[in-house]
Amino acid sequence: MKLISVLDHLAATPTTAAPRRALLAQLGRAAVAALPLGMGTALPAAAGTLDTSYDATLQLLLLERLQVALYTQGLAATGLVPTAQRTDFQRILSHQTQHVALLLQALQDAGAIVPTQPSFDFTGRHNVSTNPVLFPNVLTNFDDFLALAQQIEDLSARLYNVHALNLVYDKPLTQSVLRILSVEAQHAAHIRSLRKGRGATVQYWPSEEDAVIARSAAAQVLTTAATGDENNITQYISPGVAIPFDDFLRIGYGTAIHDPALPESFDEPANTATAQAALNLFI
Amino acid sequence: MQWQKPGSLGEQARLNIFQMSDHTSLPAWREQPLDRRVFLRVSAASAASVALIAAGCTSETTPPVTPDPYQLVLPAGDTGLYYYAYILSIAQTTLYQKVVDSPPADLTTAERAVFVDLRDHAVVHRELFRYFIDNTRANELFPTDFVFNLATFTLTSRAGVLAAAQQVADLVAAAYPAMLPLFATATAQRNIALKISSVLARHAAAVRDMLTPGSFASSDVVDSTGLLITKTPTEVTAALASYFAPYVISVANLAIPA
Repeated sequence: MKLISVLDHLAATPTTAAPRRALLAQLGRAAVAALPLGMGTALPAAAGTLDTSYDATLQLLLLERLQVALYTQGLAATGLVPTAQRTDFQRILSHQTQHVALLLQALQDAGAIVPTQPSFDFTGRHNVSTNPVLFPNVLTNFDDFLALAQQIEDLSARLYNVHALNLVYDKPLTQSVLRILSVEAQHAAHIRSLRKGRGATVQYWPSEEDAVIARSAAAQVLTTAATGDENNITQYISPGVAIPFDDFLRIGYGTAIHDPALPESFDEPANTATAQAALNLFI
Repeated sequence: MQWQKPGSLGEQARLNIFQMSDHTSLPAWREQPLDRRVFLRVSAASAASVALIAAGCTSETTPPVTPDPYQLVLPAGDTGLYYYAYILSIAQTTLYQKVVDSPPADLTTAERAVFVDLRDHAVVHRELFRYFIDNTRANELFPTDFVFNLATFTLTSRAGVLAAAQQVADLVAAAYPAMLPLFATATAQRNIALKISSVLARHAAAVRDMLTPGSFASSDVVDSTGLLITKTPTEVTAALASYFAPYVISVANLAIPA
Protein backbone atom coordinates (compact mmCIF):
# COMPACT_ATOMS: atom_id res chain seq x y z
CA MET A 1 0.00 0.00 0.00
CA LYS A 2 1.41 3.32 -1.00
CA LEU A 3 0.90 6.48 0.96
CA ILE A 4 -2.40 8.27 0.90
CA SER A 5 -2.24 11.01 -1.65
CA VAL A 6 -0.67 14.08 -0.19
CA LEU A 7 -1.62 16.28 -3.08
CA ASP A 8 -4.99 17.32 -1.78
CA HIS A 9 -3.57 17.83 1.69
CA LEU A 10 -1.23 20.42 0.31
CA ALA A 11 -4.20 22.22 -1.07
CA ALA A 12 -6.30 21.94 2.06
CA THR A 13 -5.83 24.33 4.94
CA PRO A 14 -4.01 22.59 7.80
CA THR A 15 -5.30 24.83 10.55
CA THR A 16 -7.67 22.61 12.45
CA ALA A 17 -6.78 18.99 12.06
CA ALA A 18 -3.73 17.79 13.91
CA PRO A 19 -3.47 14.56 11.90
CA ARG A 20 -3.41 16.53 8.69
CA ARG A 21 -0.59 18.70 10.03
CA ALA A 22 1.35 15.59 10.91
CA LEU A 23 0.83 14.20 7.46
CA LEU A 24 1.95 17.43 5.88
CA ALA A 25 4.99 17.72 8.09
CA GLN A 26 6.19 14.31 7.10
CA LEU A 27 5.28 14.16 3.49
CA GLY A 28 4.24 17.52 2.17
CA ARG A 29 7.59 18.92 1.19
CA ALA A 30 8.74 15.76 -0.48
CA ALA A 31 5.58 15.66 -2.54
CA VAL A 32 5.75 19.27 -3.72
CA ALA A 33 8.67 18.37 -5.92
CA ALA A 34 6.67 15.59 -7.51
CA LEU A 35 3.62 17.73 -8.27
CA PRO A 36 2.99 17.93 -11.99
CA LEU A 37 2.77 21.50 -13.18
CA GLY A 38 -0.69 22.91 -12.97
CA MET A 39 -2.08 20.13 -10.87
CA GLY A 40 -1.92 22.10 -7.65
CA THR A 41 -4.16 24.80 -8.96
CA ALA A 42 -7.02 22.36 -9.48
CA LEU A 43 -7.04 21.18 -5.92
CA PRO A 44 -7.91 23.98 -3.49
CA ALA A 45 -11.61 23.55 -4.18
CA ALA A 46 -11.44 20.37 -2.15
CA ALA A 47 -10.33 22.17 1.00
CA GLY A 48 -12.80 22.29 3.82
CA THR A 49 -14.92 19.41 2.53
CA LEU A 50 -14.88 15.73 3.27
CA ASP A 51 -13.80 15.06 -0.28
CA THR A 52 -10.06 14.76 0.05
CA SER A 53 -8.17 11.49 0.17
CA TYR A 54 -7.35 11.90 3.82
CA ASP A 55 -10.87 12.77 4.86
CA ALA A 56 -12.23 10.06 2.60
CA THR A 57 -10.06 7.44 4.24
CA LEU A 58 -11.01 8.64 7.72
CA GLN A 59 -14.70 8.53 6.89
CA LEU A 60 -14.42 5.04 5.41
CA LEU A 61 -12.51 3.92 8.51
CA LEU A 62 -15.30 5.23 10.75
CA LEU A 63 -17.87 3.43 8.60
CA GLU A 64 -15.98 0.14 8.69
CA ARG A 65 -15.39 0.39 12.43
CA LEU A 66 -19.10 1.03 12.87
CA GLN A 67 -19.91 -2.07 10.84
CA VAL A 68 -17.46 -4.18 12.83
CA ALA A 69 -19.13 -2.95 16.03
CA LEU A 70 -22.64 -3.62 14.68
CA TYR A 71 -21.93 -7.22 13.73
CA THR A 72 -19.80 -7.88 16.81
CA GLN A 73 -22.59 -6.65 19.07
CA GLY A 74 -25.22 -8.42 16.97
CA LEU A 75 -23.47 -11.77 17.11
CA ALA A 76 -22.87 -11.34 20.85
CA ALA A 77 -26.53 -10.54 21.60
CA THR A 78 -28.15 -13.69 22.93
CA GLY A 79 -30.90 -15.02 20.71
CA LEU A 80 -30.65 -12.26 18.12
CA VAL A 81 -29.08 -13.87 15.05
CA PRO A 82 -30.67 -17.24 14.16
CA THR A 83 -28.28 -20.17 14.00
CA ALA A 84 -28.74 -20.55 10.25
CA GLN A 85 -27.54 -17.00 9.66
CA ARG A 86 -24.60 -16.87 12.03
CA THR A 87 -22.07 -17.88 9.39
CA ASP A 88 -23.39 -15.13 7.09
CA PHE A 89 -22.74 -12.48 9.71
CA GLN A 90 -19.43 -13.99 10.73
CA ARG A 91 -18.35 -13.71 7.09
CA ILE A 92 -19.54 -10.10 6.84
CA LEU A 93 -17.82 -9.24 10.13
CA SER A 94 -14.63 -10.84 8.93
CA HIS A 95 -14.67 -8.74 5.73
CA GLN A 96 -15.34 -5.53 7.67
CA THR A 97 -12.48 -6.34 10.05
CA GLN A 98 -10.19 -6.84 7.05
CA HIS A 99 -11.34 -3.52 5.58
CA VAL A 100 -10.54 -1.73 8.86
CA ALA A 101 -7.05 -3.25 8.79
CA LEU A 102 -6.52 -2.13 5.20
CA LEU A 103 -7.61 1.45 5.88
CA LEU A 104 -5.56 1.64 9.10
CA GLN A 105 -2.53 0.45 7.19
CA ALA A 106 -3.11 3.09 4.50
CA LEU A 107 -3.28 5.84 7.13
CA GLN A 108 -0.24 4.56 8.99
CA ASP A 109 1.77 4.28 5.77
CA ALA A 110 0.92 7.91 5.12
CA GLY A 111 2.21 8.90 8.53
CA ALA A 112 -1.23 10.06 9.59
CA ILE A 113 -2.40 9.90 13.17
CA VAL A 114 -5.17 7.34 13.45
CA PRO A 115 -8.25 8.49 15.33
CA THR A 116 -9.17 6.52 18.42
CA GLN A 117 -11.86 3.89 18.18
CA PRO A 118 -15.24 5.45 19.08
CA SER A 119 -17.67 3.73 21.40
CA PHE A 120 -20.60 2.90 19.13
CA ASP A 121 -24.14 2.98 20.46
CA PHE A 122 -26.69 1.51 18.05
CA THR A 123 -29.66 2.78 20.02
CA GLY A 124 -28.76 6.26 18.82
CA ARG A 125 -28.49 7.53 22.42
CA HIS A 126 -24.82 8.47 22.09
CA ASN A 127 -23.95 6.39 25.14
CA VAL A 128 -26.13 8.61 27.34
CA SER A 129 -28.91 6.56 28.87
CA THR A 130 -31.24 9.51 29.28
CA ASN A 131 -31.18 10.36 25.56
CA PRO A 132 -34.11 9.19 23.44
CA VAL A 133 -33.79 5.83 21.68
CA LEU A 134 -33.67 6.45 17.92
CA PHE A 135 -33.24 2.82 16.86
CA PRO A 136 -35.37 0.60 19.08
CA ASN A 137 -34.75 -3.13 19.50
CA VAL A 138 -31.86 -3.37 17.03
CA LEU A 139 -29.99 -5.79 19.28
CA THR A 140 -33.04 -7.74 20.45
CA ASN A 141 -35.28 -8.07 17.38
CA PHE A 142 -33.75 -9.68 14.28
CA ASP A 143 -35.98 -7.78 11.83
CA ASP A 144 -35.00 -4.46 13.38
CA PHE A 145 -31.36 -5.52 13.34
CA LEU A 146 -31.62 -6.44 9.65
CA ALA A 147 -33.34 -3.17 8.78
CA LEU A 148 -30.51 -1.22 10.38
CA ALA A 149 -27.88 -3.46 8.79
CA GLN A 150 -29.48 -2.95 5.38
CA GLN A 151 -29.36 0.81 5.69
CA ILE A 152 -25.75 0.75 6.86
CA GLU A 153 -24.68 -1.62 4.08
CA ASP A 154 -26.47 0.47 1.46
CA LEU A 155 -24.78 3.55 2.89
CA SER A 156 -21.50 1.68 2.72
CA ALA A 157 -21.85 0.84 -0.98
CA ARG A 158 -22.82 4.44 -1.69
CA LEU A 159 -20.04 5.96 0.41
CA TYR A 160 -17.40 3.83 -1.29
CA ASN A 161 -19.05 4.87 -4.54
CA VAL A 162 -18.28 8.52 -3.86
CA HIS A 163 -14.88 8.04 -2.24
CA ALA A 164 -13.58 5.78 -4.99
CA LEU A 165 -13.46 9.00 -6.98
CA ASN A 166 -11.59 10.90 -4.27
CA LEU A 167 -8.56 8.66 -4.11
CA VAL A 168 -7.49 9.11 -7.70
CA TYR A 169 -3.91 10.00 -6.85
CA ASP A 170 -3.31 6.80 -4.92
CA LYS A 171 -3.81 4.03 -7.43
CA PRO A 172 -3.30 1.00 -5.18
CA LEU A 173 -5.72 2.40 -2.62
CA THR A 174 -8.21 3.26 -5.38
CA GLN A 175 -8.02 -0.30 -6.64
CA SER A 176 -8.63 -1.68 -3.16
CA VAL A 177 -11.52 0.69 -2.58
CA LEU A 178 -13.17 -0.36 -5.84
CA ARG A 179 -12.88 -3.99 -4.78
CA ILE A 180 -14.25 -3.23 -1.30
CA LEU A 181 -17.17 -1.40 -2.90
CA SER A 182 -18.21 -4.59 -4.67
CA VAL A 183 -17.96 -6.59 -1.45
CA GLU A 184 -20.07 -4.05 0.44
CA ALA A 185 -22.66 -4.13 -2.35
CA GLN A 186 -22.79 -7.93 -2.04
CA HIS A 187 -23.31 -7.59 1.71
CA ALA A 188 -26.12 -5.10 1.11
CA ALA A 189 -27.81 -7.42 -1.40
CA HIS A 190 -27.54 -10.31 1.03
CA ILE A 191 -29.05 -8.41 3.96
CA ARG A 192 -31.84 -7.42 1.60
CA SER A 193 -32.30 -11.05 0.57
CA LEU A 194 -32.56 -12.08 4.24
CA ARG A 195 -35.24 -9.44 4.79
CA LYS A 196 -37.00 -10.54 1.61
CA GLY A 197 -36.98 -14.11 2.92
CA ARG A 198 -38.64 -12.89 6.12
CA GLY A 199 -41.48 -11.22 4.25
CA ALA A 200 -40.24 -7.65 3.87
CA THR A 201 -41.07 -5.91 0.59
CA VAL A 202 -37.56 -5.24 -0.58
CA GLN A 203 -35.38 -5.84 -3.61
CA TYR A 204 -31.70 -6.77 -3.71
CA TRP A 205 -30.98 -3.20 -4.82
CA PRO A 206 -32.48 0.10 -3.72
CA SER A 207 -35.84 0.39 -5.47
CA GLU A 208 -38.88 2.59 -5.31
CA GLU A 209 -40.76 -0.69 -4.85
CA ASP A 210 -39.08 -1.21 -1.45
CA ALA A 211 -41.27 -0.69 1.60
CA VAL A 212 -40.01 2.35 3.50
CA ILE A 213 -38.11 1.62 6.71
CA ALA A 214 -39.87 3.74 9.32
CA ARG A 215 -37.55 6.08 11.22
CA SER A 216 -38.18 8.93 13.63
CA ALA A 217 -37.42 12.43 12.41
CA ALA A 218 -34.15 12.50 14.34
CA ALA A 219 -33.02 9.28 12.64
CA GLN A 220 -34.23 10.19 9.16
CA VAL A 221 -30.75 11.26 8.07
CA LEU A 222 -29.74 7.59 8.03
CA THR A 223 -32.43 6.84 5.45
CA THR A 224 -31.33 9.82 3.39
CA ALA A 225 -27.71 8.70 3.56
CA ALA A 226 -28.61 5.08 2.75
CA THR A 227 -31.02 5.52 -0.13
CA GLY A 228 -31.48 9.24 -0.83
CA ASP A 229 -31.56 10.01 -4.57
CA GLU A 230 -31.88 6.32 -5.42
CA ASN A 231 -35.09 7.01 -7.31
CA ASN A 232 -33.23 9.47 -9.45
CA ILE A 233 -34.16 8.86 -13.08
CA THR A 234 -31.63 11.27 -14.57
CA GLN A 235 -27.96 10.67 -15.29
CA TYR A 236 -25.75 13.32 -16.84
CA ILE A 237 -23.29 12.91 -19.69
CA SER A 238 -21.85 16.35 -18.90
CA PRO A 239 -22.91 19.14 -16.53
CA GLY A 240 -26.51 20.03 -17.30
CA VAL A 241 -26.81 17.55 -20.17
CA ALA A 242 -29.06 14.64 -19.29
CA ILE A 243 -28.71 11.28 -20.99
CA PRO A 244 -31.83 10.81 -23.16
CA PHE A 245 -32.83 7.40 -21.83
CA ASP A 246 -36.34 7.84 -23.23
CA ASP A 247 -34.87 8.09 -26.71
CA PHE A 248 -33.09 4.79 -26.67
CA LEU A 249 -34.58 2.49 -24.07
CA ARG A 250 -37.75 1.79 -25.94
CA ILE A 251 -36.54 1.44 -29.48
CA GLY A 252 -35.19 -1.58 -31.23
CA TYR A 253 -36.06 -3.89 -28.45
CA GLY A 254 -39.76 -4.54 -28.48
CA THR A 255 -40.08 -4.90 -24.73
CA ALA A 256 -40.09 -1.75 -22.64
CA ILE A 257 -38.33 -2.13 -19.32
CA HIS A 258 -40.49 -1.53 -16.28
CA ASP A 259 -40.13 2.00 -14.98
CA PRO A 260 -38.45 1.40 -11.59
CA ALA A 261 -35.67 -0.48 -13.38
CA LEU A 262 -34.04 2.69 -14.68
CA PRO A 263 -33.07 4.18 -11.30
CA GLU A 264 -32.40 0.68 -9.94
CA SER A 265 -29.72 0.26 -12.59
CA PHE A 266 -27.40 2.74 -10.83
CA ASP A 267 -26.25 2.96 -7.22
CA GLU A 268 -26.00 6.66 -6.46
CA PRO A 269 -23.05 8.04 -4.51
CA ALA A 270 -23.86 9.22 -0.99
CA ASN A 271 -23.50 12.83 -0.01
CA THR A 272 -20.49 12.82 2.29
CA ALA A 273 -21.89 15.37 4.73
CA THR A 274 -25.17 13.50 5.01
CA ALA A 275 -23.25 10.25 5.44
CA GLN A 276 -21.21 11.81 8.24
CA ALA A 277 -24.37 12.99 9.98
CA ALA A 278 -25.75 9.45 9.70
CA LEU A 279 -22.56 7.89 11.10
CA ASN A 280 -22.59 10.43 13.92
CA LEU A 281 -25.96 9.05 15.08
CA PHE A 282 -24.08 6.06 16.46
CA ILE A 283 -21.15 7.70 18.26
CA MET B 1 -30.33 -4.61 -31.98
CA GLN B 2 -31.96 -7.76 -33.28
CA TRP B 3 -28.83 -9.80 -32.88
CA GLN B 4 -29.25 -10.15 -29.15
CA LYS B 5 -32.01 -12.65 -29.76
CA PRO B 6 -30.31 -15.95 -30.32
CA GLY B 7 -31.85 -18.31 -32.77
CA SER B 8 -33.62 -15.65 -34.77
CA LEU B 9 -31.80 -13.04 -36.81
CA GLY B 10 -28.38 -14.09 -35.60
CA GLU B 11 -28.93 -17.54 -37.02
CA GLN B 12 -30.37 -16.08 -40.17
CA ALA B 13 -27.30 -13.96 -40.74
CA ARG B 14 -24.95 -16.84 -40.13
CA LEU B 15 -26.92 -18.91 -42.60
CA ASN B 16 -26.51 -16.17 -45.15
CA ILE B 17 -22.75 -16.18 -44.80
CA PHE B 18 -22.41 -19.84 -45.50
CA GLN B 19 -25.05 -20.04 -48.22
CA MET B 20 -24.28 -17.03 -50.30
CA SER B 21 -25.29 -18.72 -53.52
CA ASP B 22 -28.83 -18.65 -52.18
CA HIS B 23 -28.81 -14.95 -51.63
CA THR B 24 -31.44 -14.22 -54.22
CA SER B 25 -33.93 -16.04 -52.06
CA LEU B 26 -32.86 -14.20 -48.94
CA PRO B 27 -33.74 -10.54 -49.20
CA ALA B 28 -31.88 -9.69 -46.01
CA TRP B 29 -28.58 -10.72 -47.54
CA ARG B 30 -27.68 -7.39 -49.07
CA GLU B 31 -28.05 -5.53 -45.83
CA GLN B 32 -26.47 -7.78 -43.30
CA PRO B 33 -22.99 -8.32 -44.78
CA LEU B 34 -22.82 -4.55 -45.28
CA ASP B 35 -22.57 -4.11 -41.52
CA ARG B 36 -19.64 -6.44 -41.51
CA ARG B 37 -17.97 -4.56 -44.34
CA VAL B 38 -18.39 -1.23 -42.61
CA PHE B 39 -16.92 -2.63 -39.46
CA LEU B 40 -14.04 -4.24 -41.28
CA ARG B 41 -13.21 -1.09 -43.14
CA VAL B 42 -12.70 0.61 -39.80
CA SER B 43 -10.63 -2.17 -38.29
CA ALA B 44 -8.60 -2.63 -41.46
CA ALA B 45 -7.82 1.07 -41.46
CA SER B 46 -6.52 0.97 -37.92
CA ALA B 47 -4.55 -2.18 -38.59
CA ALA B 48 -3.02 -0.51 -41.62
CA SER B 49 -2.02 2.54 -39.63
CA VAL B 50 -0.34 0.38 -37.01
CA ALA B 51 1.58 -1.41 -39.74
CA LEU B 52 2.56 1.93 -41.19
CA ILE B 53 4.12 3.12 -37.99
CA ALA B 54 5.88 -0.19 -37.44
CA ALA B 55 7.33 -0.10 -40.95
CA GLY B 56 8.97 3.26 -40.36
CA CYS B 57 6.82 5.24 -42.77
CA THR B 58 7.74 3.26 -45.86
CA SER B 59 4.16 2.89 -46.81
CA GLU B 60 4.93 1.64 -50.31
CA THR B 61 6.46 -1.56 -48.94
CA THR B 62 3.67 -2.29 -46.45
CA PRO B 63 1.97 -5.48 -47.53
CA PRO B 64 -1.77 -5.36 -48.00
CA VAL B 65 -3.61 -6.03 -44.77
CA THR B 66 -5.92 -9.00 -44.87
CA PRO B 67 -7.86 -8.79 -41.62
CA ASP B 68 -9.44 -11.81 -40.06
CA PRO B 69 -13.18 -11.24 -40.50
CA TYR B 70 -13.85 -12.74 -37.08
CA GLN B 71 -11.33 -10.59 -35.23
CA LEU B 72 -13.05 -7.84 -33.22
CA VAL B 73 -10.36 -5.42 -32.10
CA LEU B 74 -11.68 -3.03 -29.48
CA PRO B 75 -10.42 0.50 -30.01
CA ALA B 76 -7.95 2.20 -27.67
CA GLY B 77 -8.95 4.72 -25.05
CA ASP B 78 -12.21 5.07 -23.18
CA THR B 79 -14.20 4.08 -26.27
CA GLY B 80 -12.60 0.65 -26.07
CA LEU B 81 -13.84 0.40 -22.49
CA TYR B 82 -17.38 1.30 -23.63
CA TYR B 83 -17.20 -1.52 -26.14
CA TYR B 84 -15.90 -3.86 -23.47
CA ALA B 85 -18.74 -2.97 -21.08
CA TYR B 86 -21.19 -3.19 -23.98
CA ILE B 87 -20.08 -6.74 -24.74
CA LEU B 88 -20.45 -7.67 -21.07
CA SER B 89 -24.02 -6.38 -21.10
CA ILE B 90 -24.74 -8.32 -24.30
CA ALA B 91 -23.77 -11.50 -22.47
CA GLN B 92 -26.07 -10.60 -19.58
CA THR B 93 -29.07 -9.47 -21.60
CA THR B 94 -28.91 -12.47 -23.90
CA LEU B 95 -28.96 -14.91 -21.01
CA TYR B 96 -31.49 -13.06 -18.86
CA GLN B 97 -33.81 -12.45 -21.80
CA LYS B 98 -33.78 -16.15 -22.64
CA VAL B 99 -34.73 -17.00 -19.05
CA VAL B 100 -37.52 -14.41 -19.09
CA ASP B 101 -38.81 -15.72 -22.43
CA SER B 102 -38.56 -19.43 -21.60
CA PRO B 103 -38.30 -19.91 -17.85
CA PRO B 104 -37.81 -23.47 -16.62
CA ALA B 105 -40.92 -24.88 -14.98
CA ASP B 106 -39.31 -25.07 -11.54
CA LEU B 107 -38.19 -21.43 -11.46
CA THR B 108 -40.52 -19.75 -8.97
CA THR B 109 -42.66 -16.73 -9.75
CA ALA B 110 -40.55 -14.59 -7.41
CA GLU B 111 -37.36 -15.77 -9.09
CA ARG B 112 -38.79 -15.04 -12.54
CA ALA B 113 -39.47 -11.50 -11.35
CA VAL B 114 -35.84 -11.18 -10.30
CA PHE B 115 -34.74 -12.24 -13.78
CA VAL B 116 -36.98 -9.56 -15.29
CA ASP B 117 -35.17 -7.02 -13.11
CA LEU B 118 -31.74 -8.41 -14.02
CA ARG B 119 -32.73 -8.23 -17.69
CA ASP B 120 -34.05 -4.69 -17.35
CA HIS B 121 -30.95 -3.38 -15.58
CA ALA B 122 -28.67 -5.05 -18.10
CA VAL B 123 -30.70 -3.59 -20.98
CA VAL B 124 -30.31 -0.13 -19.46
CA HIS B 125 -26.56 -0.67 -19.15
CA ARG B 126 -26.26 -2.11 -22.65
CA GLU B 127 -28.16 0.70 -24.33
CA LEU B 128 -26.28 3.28 -22.28
CA PHE B 129 -22.87 2.00 -23.41
CA ARG B 130 -24.16 1.80 -26.94
CA TYR B 131 -25.11 5.47 -26.59
CA PHE B 132 -21.63 6.29 -25.25
CA ILE B 133 -20.09 4.61 -28.29
CA ASP B 134 -22.43 6.09 -30.89
CA ASN B 135 -24.94 8.65 -29.69
CA THR B 136 -26.52 8.83 -33.14
CA ARG B 137 -27.34 5.13 -32.91
CA ALA B 138 -27.12 5.14 -36.69
CA ASN B 139 -24.40 2.50 -36.95
CA GLU B 140 -24.42 -1.19 -36.31
CA LEU B 141 -21.54 -1.76 -33.91
CA PHE B 142 -21.00 -5.43 -34.60
CA PRO B 143 -21.78 -7.88 -37.35
CA THR B 144 -25.32 -9.12 -37.00
CA ASP B 145 -24.19 -12.67 -36.29
CA PHE B 146 -22.08 -11.59 -33.32
CA VAL B 147 -24.06 -13.26 -30.53
CA PHE B 148 -23.56 -14.64 -27.04
CA ASN B 149 -24.21 -18.33 -27.63
CA LEU B 150 -26.25 -20.02 -24.92
CA ALA B 151 -26.01 -23.56 -26.30
CA THR B 152 -23.64 -24.87 -23.62
CA PHE B 153 -25.86 -23.75 -20.74
CA THR B 154 -28.60 -25.95 -19.35
CA LEU B 155 -31.51 -23.56 -19.34
CA THR B 156 -34.26 -26.12 -18.91
CA SER B 157 -33.98 -26.36 -15.12
CA ARG B 158 -33.90 -23.87 -12.26
CA ALA B 159 -30.51 -25.18 -11.16
CA GLY B 160 -29.11 -24.85 -14.67
CA VAL B 161 -30.48 -21.35 -15.15
CA LEU B 162 -29.12 -20.14 -11.83
CA ALA B 163 -25.74 -21.78 -12.43
CA ALA B 164 -25.50 -20.03 -15.81
CA ALA B 165 -26.61 -16.74 -14.28
CA GLN B 166 -24.07 -17.03 -11.48
CA GLN B 167 -21.31 -17.71 -13.97
CA VAL B 168 -22.18 -14.60 -15.98
CA ALA B 169 -22.99 -12.35 -13.01
CA ASP B 170 -19.79 -13.29 -11.17
CA LEU B 171 -17.70 -12.68 -14.27
CA VAL B 172 -19.22 -9.27 -14.93
CA ALA B 173 -18.96 -8.25 -11.26
CA ALA B 174 -15.28 -9.25 -11.31
CA ALA B 175 -14.68 -7.29 -14.52
CA TYR B 176 -15.80 -3.84 -13.39
CA PRO B 177 -13.40 -3.06 -10.52
CA ALA B 178 -10.52 -3.95 -12.87
CA MET B 179 -11.98 -1.92 -15.73
CA LEU B 180 -12.72 1.31 -13.84
CA PRO B 181 -9.08 2.35 -13.24
CA LEU B 182 -8.42 2.02 -16.99
CA PHE B 183 -10.45 5.12 -17.84
CA ALA B 184 -8.11 7.91 -18.90
CA THR B 185 -9.82 10.63 -16.90
CA ALA B 186 -12.65 11.12 -14.44
CA THR B 187 -15.38 11.48 -17.02
CA ALA B 188 -19.12 11.29 -16.42
CA GLN B 189 -19.04 7.97 -18.27
CA ARG B 190 -16.45 6.61 -15.83
CA ASN B 191 -18.53 7.75 -12.87
CA ILE B 192 -21.65 6.14 -14.30
CA ALA B 193 -19.72 2.90 -14.85
CA LEU B 194 -18.80 3.06 -11.16
CA LYS B 195 -22.48 3.31 -10.20
CA ILE B 196 -23.15 0.29 -12.41
CA SER B 197 -20.29 -1.67 -10.83
CA SER B 198 -22.02 -1.62 -7.49
CA VAL B 199 -25.36 -2.78 -8.96
CA LEU B 200 -23.62 -5.64 -10.77
CA ALA B 201 -22.10 -6.75 -7.46
CA ARG B 202 -25.64 -6.81 -6.06
CA HIS B 203 -26.74 -8.92 -9.04
CA ALA B 204 -23.98 -11.44 -8.34
CA ALA B 205 -24.97 -11.71 -4.67
CA ALA B 206 -28.66 -12.02 -5.57
CA VAL B 207 -28.05 -14.86 -8.02
CA ARG B 208 -25.64 -16.58 -5.63
CA ASP B 209 -28.16 -16.42 -2.80
CA MET B 210 -30.89 -17.80 -5.07
CA LEU B 211 -28.76 -20.76 -6.13
CA THR B 212 -27.14 -21.44 -2.76
CA PRO B 213 -28.53 -19.37 0.14
CA GLY B 214 -25.71 -17.65 2.00
CA SER B 215 -23.17 -18.00 -0.81
CA PHE B 216 -22.94 -14.21 -1.34
CA ALA B 217 -19.39 -12.80 -1.14
CA SER B 218 -17.98 -16.22 -0.31
CA SER B 219 -14.34 -17.20 -0.53
CA ASP B 220 -14.45 -18.11 -4.23
CA VAL B 221 -15.18 -14.46 -5.09
CA VAL B 222 -13.68 -12.52 -2.15
CA ASP B 223 -10.04 -12.96 -1.16
CA SER B 224 -8.58 -13.40 2.32
CA THR B 225 -8.14 -9.65 2.75
CA GLY B 226 -11.82 -8.86 2.16
CA LEU B 227 -11.40 -7.66 -1.43
CA LEU B 228 -13.41 -8.87 -4.41
CA ILE B 229 -11.36 -11.10 -6.70
CA THR B 230 -11.26 -9.22 -9.99
CA LYS B 231 -10.55 -10.22 -13.57
CA THR B 232 -8.68 -8.20 -16.18
CA PRO B 233 -10.19 -7.61 -19.63
CA THR B 234 -7.82 -10.27 -20.97
CA GLU B 235 -9.07 -12.80 -18.43
CA VAL B 236 -12.69 -11.86 -18.98
CA THR B 237 -12.54 -12.11 -22.76
CA ALA B 238 -10.76 -15.45 -22.43
CA ALA B 239 -13.61 -16.66 -20.22
CA LEU B 240 -16.15 -15.43 -22.77
CA ALA B 241 -14.29 -16.64 -25.86
CA SER B 242 -16.18 -19.87 -26.45
CA TYR B 243 -19.54 -18.10 -26.13
CA PHE B 244 -18.74 -15.51 -28.79
CA ALA B 245 -16.98 -17.89 -31.19
CA PRO B 246 -16.24 -17.74 -34.06
CA TYR B 247 -15.62 -14.09 -33.19
CA VAL B 248 -12.44 -13.33 -31.28
CA ILE B 249 -12.49 -10.22 -29.09
CA SER B 250 -9.14 -8.50 -28.77
CA VAL B 251 -8.60 -6.13 -25.85
CA ALA B 252 -4.96 -5.52 -26.79
CA ASN B 253 -5.61 -1.81 -27.34
CA LEU B 254 -7.07 -1.22 -23.87
CA ALA B 255 -4.74 0.43 -21.37
CA ILE B 256 -4.20 -2.76 -19.40
CA PRO B 257 -1.28 -2.49 -16.96
CA ALA B 258 1.52 -4.94 -17.70
